[in-house]
Amino acid sequence: MSEHKVIPPNTLAAFGVVGGLAGVYLAYFLKDMNSVFVFFGAIGAICAAVWGADVVRRVASYGLGTGVPSIGMLALGMGIIAVLFGLSLGLGPAGPFVAFLASCVIGAIIGIISVKVVGMTIPIMVRATTEIAGAGALLILGLSIVIAGSLDYAIVVKEVVTTGFIMLIYIAGGMAMLHPHNSNLGPDETQDRLLALSAEKAGIAVVLSGFASVAGMGAIAVTMLIGIFTWYYFFGKYYGFVKRDAYKVVDIGMLPTEEEMA
Amino acid sequence: MIDIVGVIAPNLLWILAIVIGGTLISISVHFIPVGGAPAAMAQATGIGTGTVMLAAGAGIAGIIAAGAVMSRNQDFGVVVGAAAVGAAVMLAATMIVGTWIYAYGVGVMPVSAKVKYDPITKYRQDLYVSQGTEGHGIPTVTYVSSTIGGLMGGLGAGLAYYALMMVGTYPYAGVTPLEVENLNLVGVVASFVIGFFFINSVIPSYNIVGTIEGFHDPKFKRWPKAAVASFIASIPLAIVAVVAVGALALVGGL
Repeated sequence: MSEHKVIPPNTLAAFGVVGGLAGVYLAYFLKDMNSVFVFFGAIGAICAAVWGADVVRRVASYGLGTGVPSIGMLALGMGIIAVLFGLSLGLGPAGPFVAFLASCVIGAIIGIISVKVVGMTIPIMVRATTEIAGAGALLILGLSIVIAGSLDYAIVVKEVVTTGFIMLIYIAGGMAMLHPHNSNLGPDETQDRLLALSAEKAGIAVVLSGFASVAGMGAIAVTMLIGIFTWYYFFGKYYGFVKRDAYKVVDIGMLPTEEEMA
Repeated sequence: MIDIVGVIAPNLLWILAIVIGGTLISISVHFIPVGGAPAAMAQATGIGTGTVMLAAGAGIAGIIAAGAVMSRNQDFGVVVGAAAVGAAVMLAATMIVGTWIYAYGVGVMPVSAKVKYDPITKYRQDLYVSQGTEGHGIPTVTYVSSTIGGLMGGLGAGLAYYALMMVGTYPYAGVTPLEVENLNLVGVVASFVIGFFFINSVIPSYNIVGTIEGFHDPKFKRWPKAAVASFIASIPLAIVAVVAVGALALVGGL
């Protein structure tokens, strides 16, 4: 698929950062008007997940040697620590942005250490860990505001962390970032197919976090509808891309009955 | 804006404890027999999954053990010991069930391809390695190694958990100190330690390039690099964690 157009990394990074931050901040400021608007956080989380999946695609195609899930778990691990730190400082509206910056800094430190001390030879490692930590933080922020209906440290801790939904975000959000490359890797990997799968997985994460939301029935309904629509639309797209990229799709028919086997 | 210096200053010792915990977690990964995809097809010694899954499974078991004990007994040795034993039991159980599956399900015998004689049982190894594979199953030395790894990883996780709980329950000026039973505190601390554990098990897994058999594997000699890397990486993570947990204590645990 060499004639295939690839979206450049910077475009997707801009899409993730701007989309993610805009989603989180629209939810942050509009939620006071009506709690339904927390659904913007879900949209931001989807943007961040797509960005993260593309970073995983770029860095893991060098061969991490440990399997793709490791870097996805690393991303969310850095994200959780940075988000709780950023929100805990009590900076008000600056909190989410500080959380995002803190995650990028932590990501850069981990990247520099893995290159300088551990001796990894992947040339884009530092940039990749920085980006992936940022994407992880935005994803956690977006889904947290959906669940808690606020980004106040006290409310996030009570509704997201203590209830254990943070682990739901961790695994479902991590899936949206690491699973697309893990299941599409190989010589026939195409970027649009991978990103469609990422958006589809993010849709599932949005449905789950919408279901767990305490922001009111309106927010639950709207977020879950957005998640279901995202999942449905991108699952169809992904299926289309799979059929396009496959050499041939054949119908194997039903399993033979016992009489036919005899 | 919270008083960051006021939170960090009384907790310097605990920051050091968290950093040591992270380094222990990092070293522990080198003991755990991670086989990856080849082991899943019984073509390499160890358990057929990635470092992160095995080490994190052990670490989370350790955190659960530490959390359960800490609500009853706040003695340092008891909490950290419970975490170490919890993680070791989890890994030992995984290894023994894995051995049954490899022996009775897949039909291979536990054998290491990295050494000629098992350093513990002195049994000959190389004769029993199937052609084209790098060993299979979980031989005795690997089993023992993984149990040591579990103890060490659990020790690291328990140390980080205990340290952060102490940071949360420290009597800061002007606020009532939190109880160890405070669920919000336990939730935040557990989330931090799990994230911390994931980061510190991914760094060494890059160091061993995905697979290792245990302390008899030649790759085991690389552990100082991962230990240094995790030590440096844990410093900013520990400071950030202490600030966030201290902030929870400053707002009275909600």
